[in-house]
Amino acid sequence: MSDPLKIEDSKRKNSIFSPVVQKNWYLFRQSKMGLIGFFIIVFFAVLAIMQPLFFISGYWSNNIYDPVVGYDSIEVELVIVKCPRNSDFPTEKYDKPEDCPGDGEISDRMVMPFAPNAKPGDYYETFLQPAPPSIKHWLGTDSLGRDVFSQIMKGSQVAFMLGLLSATLSVSIATLLGTIAAFWGGRVDTYLMRQADLILMVPQLPLLLIMAALYRFQVWHLALVLGILGGFGGLVISVKSQALQVKVKPFVDSARVTGGTKFKIMTSHILPNVAPIALLYMVFAVTGAIFAESTLSYLGLLNIDMSWGMMIHLAQTDGYIFSGLRYWWIVLPAGLSVTFLSGGFYLVGRGLDDVFNPRLRKR
Amino acid sequence: MNNYIFKRLLQFVPVFGLFLVFSFVLFNATPGNAFTNILLNRELPPEEYARVIATFGLDKPVHERLFLYINNFFRGDFGYSYTHFPKTPIDLISEYLPRTLMLFAVVNIVAFYTGFIVGKILAWKRGTKTETWITMASVFSYTVFYPWFALMCLWFFGYKMGWLPVGKFLFPEKWYESPYSADEVFFTMIRYTIVSSLVLFFIFVLSKNIESISQRRNTRLTGFAVLIVVSFVFWNNGDAGLKSTYAWDIAYHMILPVLVVTFVAFAGTALLMRTTMMEVLKEDYILTARAKGLSQKRIRDRHAARTALLPVATSFIFTIITIVDGAVITENIFSWPGMGVLLLDSLLREDIPVAMACFSFLGVLALVSHLLADISYAYLDPRIRIGSQG
Repeated sequence: MSDPLKIEDSKRKNSIFSPVVQKNWYLFRQSKMGLIGFFIIVFFAVLAIMQPLFFISGYWSNNIYDPVVGYDSIEVELVIVKCPRNSDFPTEKYDKPEDCPGDGEISDRMVMPFAPNAKPGDYYETFLQPAPPSIKHWLGTDSLGRDVFSQIMKGSQVAFMLGLLSATLSVSIATLLGTIAAFWGGRVDTYLMRQADLILMVPQLPLLLIMAALYRFQVWHLALVLGILGGFGGLVISVKSQALQVKVKPFVDSARVTGGTKFKIMTSHILPNVAPIALLYMVFAVTGAIFAESTLSYLGLLNIDMSWGMMIHLAQTDGYIFSGLRYWWIVLPAGLSVTFLSGGFYLVGRGLDDVFNPRLRKR
Repeated sequence: MNNYIFKRLLQFVPVFGLFLVFSFVLFNATPGNAFTNILLNRELPPEEYARVIATFGLDKPVHERLFLYINNFFRGDFGYSYTHFPKTPIDLISEYLPRTLMLFAVVNIVAFYTGFIVGKILAWKRGTKTETWITMASVFSYTVFYPWFALMCLWFFGYKMGWLPVGKFLFPEKWYESPYSADEVFFTMIRYTIVSSLVLFFIFVLSKNIESISQRRNTRLTGFAVLIVVSFVFWNNGDAGLKSTYAWDIAYHMILPVLVVTFVAFAGTALLMRTTMMEVLKEDYILTARAKGLSQKRIRDRHAARTALLPVATSFIFTIITIVDGAVITENIFSWPGMGVLLLDSLLREDIPVAMACFSFLGVLALVSHLLADISYAYLDPRIRIGSQG
């Protein structure tokens, strides 16, 4: 392998990115996990962007594929069977009580109120809800006939919006306050640190629960609260310790000697050097925000019409969790999406860690 | 050192005061109050509403109520619970808190120890296939959406396989003829756990300085064996012997939550341990140890892991606060009647005194663990220790 940091001049000139970006991208590419995480995030971003495009282009019609109010019915013919009593199991056809009625069958007791004359062996036409995955519905439909894939797309929009909003907010607040605390020191520093102590002291999830239960919480409220809590809380301490390391570097001293004002030194010398670490914290903050949103909507406390947490909440309240893998398209996708997206952000954070912390690079 | 601790204590006083004000404002900024629905009842005259409001002291101005609240907080008076009427919030908390503490103390000790060992192995085997796979597994368990994962485990172990109970604290049908209340049995279990973990701790501390690795291992194994025999005798004789079947019932219900939370919680420690130990392995004294010809295991366990333990252990104390976060979710999924369930229930039923008491109590818990973390930082980190003297 040739020396990576000296990319050939011709290549460098052809690329639209600056050499710094190229070098950092090369370093980032070294960690395979970071790359995997990056592709996971891109995948979900594509999902989030595709949904409006599908609707606008007319490929999906609104009243079938809408994640909240869409409805599609799939007509099926089922054979009416008479299930044996629980004590008679196992019979030659069914092993356990859960096996009856099987695929393409329906119990006569279910049919009785609607078709009193039907006998076992007859065919019964009905709408299949929830429907298994098909070409029309890539991940099937849920118990109300809504497209699960469309819900996943909607959920990823919510996750990206909330995560990026709250992470940007918290990191920008924390970077500003952290540099101020490190640079001014004294009373400002003491005040900011005690404030961070106070926020760290408040247990976060119970606080969110209380706010969500007592006030009507929308997603952007949650983003705001998470952003402020993160921005004034522990992040300030981390950014401050980073800024303290930058503050004692020689170039800050020389800037001061040559007569730079405090504000100028802070904005043009300290902030740019703290920014990479802030970016790193931002990636981790996104994970926390996605988790908080999913947990709150899983507990049914968030005023939101569709998100991944909501999908798990619905799967649980509709009783599909204990059906296990029989209705896997309702149970698995939402949980796996949360896991993979937050995992993706975490892995990218690890990759960035390798870029910004040279000590951790492989020997 | 004492100076430093004193300074920290002094700094925590205003922080705690602010926390009290904050929690009061949080609960009192909602529109209306718990008795507004009386106004909807046309049968009741408005005077009745005024009377009820006056009884509960809600007619006083906000600042007066705030001072009353702070005053009553230090006297341990939180009023009465609305939903469990004759009981006070303190009664409820003293009933629910031990269950949370027991569950999460066990989980944290197990998770910390597993995380420590896994992280150690990960850093040592850097670049091998094993490392990749275990890191993948720990990243998965670190980022898995925990409520969903717990539900899937509940489905698999509790329902599909039927090995473990599906949630709850005990099987009520087994307790019909029990001469003891569940709490009595549970307190015996707590005492047993505390004593046996102390004994384990002492075995480890006392055998720490034995030089030969095999001799040290043998000493520890003997200690374990003695502990197991003694606890076997304890649970089969006297008072505890009668309680043992019931205690086993509770322990049986604890297995699944402990397993699931451990699986989720160990990864944080493991990943942190991996990073710190990788930094330690680059130090010069590791090279020296290699040059001296010490065995690999000795370098790993005594030179590298011991040093890397320090930041991991202090960060672990900070995670005591996240116990509370985890408790809310875990207890609600596994129907484990602890503080998390109490908090969520009281919130959903608008039982404000209990919710306030829970929240303040969790805050105090977090405060104490913060203080402990700070003090242990100061104790373990020579830079702070020396800095405070000079």
